Amino acid sequence: MSTSMKIGYYPGCSAKGSSLDYELSSSEVCRILGIVSSEIDEWNCCGSTPAHAVSTELSAALCTRNLVQATKQGADIVMTPCPSCLSNLRHARERMQNPEFKKRVDELLDEPAPEVLPEATSVMQMIGKLCSAEDIKSHVRQSLAGIRIAPYYGCLMSRPAELMNFGDPENPTLMEELLAACGADSVLDFPLKTECCGASAGIPHRPLTSVNSGRILDVAVKMEADCICVCCPLCQMNLDLRQKQAERQVNAKFGIPVLYYTQLMGLAFGCDPKTLGLNKLIVSADRIVDRIRALNTARKEAQGGNAA
Amino acid sequence: MPVLEGKELRIVAFLCNWCSYGGADTAGVARATQPTDLRIIRVPCSGRIDPLFILRALLNGADGVLVSGCHPNDCHYSAGNFYARRRLEVLKQFLPILGIDDRRFEYTWVSASEGARWQQVVTNFTARIHELGPAPRLEDAEPLLEMAEMALKPLRPLGTGQKAPLDELKNAIKARIKDLDVVIGWQKGDDDAHTIPLFMRSEEDVDRLVWGPFNVNNPATYVNELIGSALPLAKKKKIGLVVKGCDSKSVVELLQEKLIDKENIVLFALPCEGTFDMARIDRELGRYLKIDKVEYDEAGVTITADGKEHRFCIADYAQGKCYNCSMPLAKNADESFGDMPQITGTPVTPPELAMLDAMTLEQRFSFWKGEMDRCLRCYACRNACPMCVCRDYCIADTREPHFISQEWSVREKIYFQCIHAMHLAGRCTLCGECQRACPVGIPILALRQQIARVISQLFDNYQCGMDPEATPPLLCYQVNEEHIKQREL
Amino acid sequence: MRIGVFVCHCGSNIAGTVDCKAAAESALSLPDVVYATDLMYSCAEPGQAAIEKAIHDYALTGVVVASCSPRMHEPTFRRTVERAGLNRYMFEMANIREHVSWIGKDKVANTNKACELIAMAVAKLRNDRPLHSQSFDVTKKVLIIGGGIAGIQAALDCADGGIPVILVEREPTIGGKMAKLDKTFPTVDCSACILGPKMVDVAQHPNITLYACSEVEDITGYVGNFDVTIRKKTTYVDWDKCTGCGACTEKCPSKNVPDRFNENVGLTTAINIPFPQAIPKRASINPDYCRKLTTGKCGICAKICPTKAIDYERKDELINVKVGSVIAATGYDLMDWTVYEEYGGGRYPDVITSLQYERLLNASGPTGGHIKRPSDGKEPKRIVFIQCVGSRDKSIGRPLCSGFCCMYTAKQAVLTKDHIPDSQSYVFYMDIRAAGKLYDEFTRRAVEEYGTEYIRGRVSKIYPDGNGQLIVCGSDTLLGQRVEVPCDLVVLAVGINASKGASHLAEKLRISYDQYGFFLEGHPKLRPVETNTAGVFLAGVCQGTKDIPSSVAQGSAAAAKVLSLFARDKLENDPQIAHVNAARCVACGKCIRCCPFGAIREEEFRGQLKAKVIDTVCQGCGLCTATCPQGAIQLSHATDNEILAEVNQLCQF
Repeated sequence: MSTSMKIGYYPGCSAKGSSLDYELSSSEVCRILGIVSSEIDEWNCCGSTPAHAVSTELSAALCTRNLVQATKQGADIVMTPCPSCLSNLRHARERMQNPEFKKRVDELLDEPAPEVLPEATSVMQMIGKLCSAEDIKSHVRQSLAGIRIAPYYGCLMSRPAELMNFGDPENPTLMEELLAACGADSVLDFPLKTECCGASAGIPHRPLTSVNSGRILDVAVKMEADCICVCCPLCQMNLDLRQKQAERQVNAKFGIPVLYYTQLMGLAFGCDPKTLGLNKLIVSADRIVDRIRALNTARKEAQGGNAA
Repeated sequence: MPVLEGKELRIVAFLCNWCSYGGADTAGVARATQPTDLRIIRVPCSGRIDPLFILRALLNGADGVLVSGCHPNDCHYSAGNFYARRRLEVLKQFLPILGIDDRRFEYTWVSASEGARWQQVVTNFTARIHELGPAPRLEDAEPLLEMAEMALKPLRPLGTGQKAPLDELKNAIKARIKDLDVVIGWQKGDDDAHTIPLFMRSEEDVDRLVWGPFNVNNPATYVNELIGSALPLAKKKKIGLVVKGCDSKSVVELLQEKLIDKENIVLFALPCEGTFDMARIDRELGRYLKIDKVEYDEAGVTITADGKEHRFCIADYAQGKCYNCSMPLAKNADESFGDMPQITGTPVTPPELAMLDAMTLEQRFSFWKGEMDRCLRCYACRNACPMCVCRDYCIADTREPHFISQEWSVREKIYFQCIHAMHLAGRCTLCGECQRACPVGIPILALRQQIARVISQLFDNYQCGMDPEATPPLLCYQVNEEHIKQREL
Repeated sequence: MRIGVFVCHCGSNIAGTVDCKAAAESALSLPDVVYATDLMYSCAEPGQAAIEKAIHDYALTGVVVASCSPRMHEPTFRRTVERAGLNRYMFEMANIREHVSWIGKDKVANTNKACELIAMAVAKLRNDRPLHSQSFDVTKKVLIIGGGIAGIQAALDCADGGIPVILVEREPTIGGKMAKLDKTFPTVDCSACILGPKMVDVAQHPNITLYACSEVEDITGYVGNFDVTIRKKTTYVDWDKCTGCGACTEKCPSKNVPDRFNENVGLTTAINIPFPQAIPKRASINPDYCRKLTTGKCGICAKICPTKAIDYERKDELINVKVGSVIAATGYDLMDWTVYEEYGGGRYPDVITSLQYERLLNASGPTGGHIKRPSDGKEPKRIVFIQCVGSRDKSIGRPLCSGFCCMYTAKQAVLTKDHIPDSQSYVFYMDIRAAGKLYDEFTRRAVEEYGTEYIRGRVSKIYPDGNGQLIVCGSDTLLGQRVEVPCDLVVLAVGINASKGASHLAEKLRISYDQYGFFLEGHPKLRPVETNTAGVFLAGVCQGTKDIPSSVAQGSAAAAKVLSLFARDKLENDPQIAHVNAARCVACGKCIRCCPFGAIREEEFRGQLKAKVIDTVCQGCGLCTATCPQGAIQLSHATDNEILAEVNQLCQF
């Protein structure tokens, strides 16, 4: 895997706090796959939901600054693990093409932004773009075969469709493709893969989040998933950290681990669970780790037996 | 009736009756408000639209011309719009060389059910024309005169051809002349520095045949008159033709268009080392009483006129086409002597065209106004053209149909050149006879060069006069045109 | 020339935004115009009478009417001038309604534009020449493409009128979509019971030749004389020998073949007869599943067939027929609803189309008329119907209303209750469109008598809950809240497109079609059965969405059009065709090379070759005229000089 493209890495705030494990695992996976990026100097918050709820100009100014910083470092493209950050970066870049809008945003910045800003993409799309299934397969040490995984993208990764450009907004499949490359053969056709988890309503209107997350967890459990695979820090938090709240709301017991796709890929690549931040999960993923190991050992023995 | 001053511009639309005229009706029935500038001419099919109608409108002061037909595959006549698409795209890409902004002409497809789309097309096109403003008028243009730098780097060494196996060729002609009504070549003209066509009917005539850089005429020009399809069947002759590589292309083109039969013509070929641009030679010689002698060497000739020596190096004084020539020896000749020289490199933009390419639209418009002003309407360009097979039935000489008037104006003169260029689209082999024949030295070849360039770009590097089996690109079509990228309206 | 100009007010349609009087006055300054006036309604009887009178009073030799689109009234006024003794082609129209008064409100600009359009019409008229038609024979035989209810009705009416009919059906049986339906709204009578007798009539009628399993390969020619090539696709069964006994279908070992007639909700055998009442009742082999044809081993049906009708080597046949007229009745297909990923994109077996549900309801369907859901064969108790799937949805580029879904959804809800009395049906709808005789009453019954719960709102998501049920999430816009309906089966009222391949057929017929493939009628209101190609008529849903009564009515209407066309023994050709001026032709052959109809050939004329147009083959497109460098071949009524006159009138430097 090689590319002449210079990638600027934008972690986003949660990567340094609530989703440290996402950052750990995605940087580990990228390292293994040979995707080189450099973190943007002095990056700032993308503004998240509050900024654009108050003013699109403010939100765009925050994101534009990050994109400009990346340009100054010589980045051709900006990559971020967080779908919400990505959405804001892309919206900003799109809106800045309107000269009127740009003028208003430029007033908020120290100096006017350049006419052309770098594109932003997700870590997932970057892996999908730069690495073929064969590339990924070549790094797999422990196949994910036999693990029943419910792929869950959340609502932001694929929407709005024309901006995110992530396949069918109702049925994206990139995560399944990456997992399949890691040997996963029991990825479920998860019907709620793009439903909302309740997102930031967890603070102002907790029952809503509990209902939404509860439904997702409920269907995943009923479909006998071993784990849920996510790509958004907020989804992970709502499904994992708030799983107990959801259980109370819908009156059920779930106990299902919620892993980032990078953690699952990392496990497939044979990384130490700790370097992938698995110890940060609330619902322990130990049984997933054990099961992967057990299944692989069993397969190896069966193969060895056959050979003998 | 004048256009509403300052409010409307003159926009002409040609609509096919079945789809787009119906679409415009549908828009009307839906009361879909549109700008009032557009005037619609109803035609049965977009294939009925002669590009010359559009040129007529643009030269007559239209600020914009829109053509709309049925969507590809939906033509009421099954294929009219496919032909139209090719012809209109060629026209669109031809316009800029005249100095006309190609955005002033657009073609699109609107079906009878697409009233809303028609409204959008009219609105957008009218807005585009208003953005461009009124079209420049020939009356207002400042004449501009400019000359092209003709000499280029040739694709093979140029020379004077004095080592060509002329005697072998003469013997070959003599061997076959009794089976032929006439063989055409070149002979010494009024003096040694000029040639005139030679019509050989006997072995003695053959001895007068000359070969060298003064053999500028294209003998293929006479072919159609002698054996062309318009002749009474009984009167067709069998002829021979001595050709340079470039001349042979004209014959191939005539064969390809089935205007002549292969059995009626025998080609004799020698490798050409380049021919002189006689306009520049004569300019250099100036007025003289007598050419004393012409001495050849490998690199050029020395002409002594009235005792004064003039040196003409072929590398500096060749015709524009010779520098770009990659076929000095005819490929399909019946009797061929000498070897095909090594060709290195690929042809570049011809000098006349390169000069125009470097100009702005406004400058080109002024250039043609300046150049065409001195056109005599003598039609030497047409008469010298080997592909002008209409001859006595040229539409410039009739009122049925009445495309062009006899009015003495730059407009009509340019329009004739447009007619010639359009009628040569996909046929012109760039032999340059039109320009060579022009008594007032107008670089009219540039218009044909532009057409040839467009044809080549649009239709897979199609070169006229190469393959007698090929189908002329404007007499066929493809359902999905690979190189025609239509613009949204 | 003496030209009269008549400017029509069209009531206020034109006069509202065009000063018609001023336009008429301005026309008087045009060359050759000797008379100009404005009329209130020029197409009405007094208007036409005024034109005829003016032709006599002012000895006019040409007439310009400035009014509506020539596509609307050109034939009307041509007859008017003809009655007054002029040649019908010495007439031009200026379209100042659709192209002027209806699309702009600026009266000054409109009036100016109208004056210019009139000037263009006058300029063209001054170049017009009288043209005369030639008459030719008519082949009194009709080709009907499509054997659904519309095609059947058209075939029977034509045949009863004494016209031989060639009926071509793509499927192995006629009957079309109606044959698949269980009951029909609003009377809830059995579809097969009312359609069956008509199908039998088709089979037995001496004037009808039926080609099932056949498609139209090619059509050339023109009204009165079409040459049609029909491809009779092989069924590997000699239908002259097959008696439809069904012995082969019982013994066929390949039994897991998707049943197309049953919309793939059931299975059938590789050799099969689509349904018991099929016409023709003949067996055909599905070559993709036949063991003999795929593996070379089997041949049971050939052994068992009592009449030895099976022939595995049988090939397609091409049949040529001559007809004078064509009726297209190709019907519809459902759009590809799997674009709705939020409804599972086709991955959930218990989300089915209404046509599939129709087969589940039908006593001759795969479940014998017992509603069983596809996934596990269980009887569903809670059923959700979703309307407007692929209709009225701009997000997938389909703003059209499919017309009959509201009604059949109500019907299916009613039938569901009849089949399963303890069931509950829910219908997600946008609006109830029940504008037909007894239609609204019927939908009310579905709600009031059958307890169907109608929820006004769209469905945002369907997902399996993991316990064998489907959860339908949507909004109830009347209550303004989200709803979630757990159910056992979801039935989608899927929107319709014109039948697959309709656009290809349209190209062969040289008729227009819209983005959904529906054929374009001659006029949306006044010529709903005709097309813009003379002699080609439309019946049924191929022209646009329709229910059964409307399809039947249009089938009869198309038949009436054919009968009236054939009432004459000779037809007149359109004289607007190309003509060669032999003196100018240099026989370069360019016109011959590009003519789409092969209507030009080379002929010897006084010892020279010249192009010659075959009058009856030329369709008048004018491609040759645009191609001929000498202008030797001219399309009558659209000659170079006529078009140049318009250009020059408009563009005067």
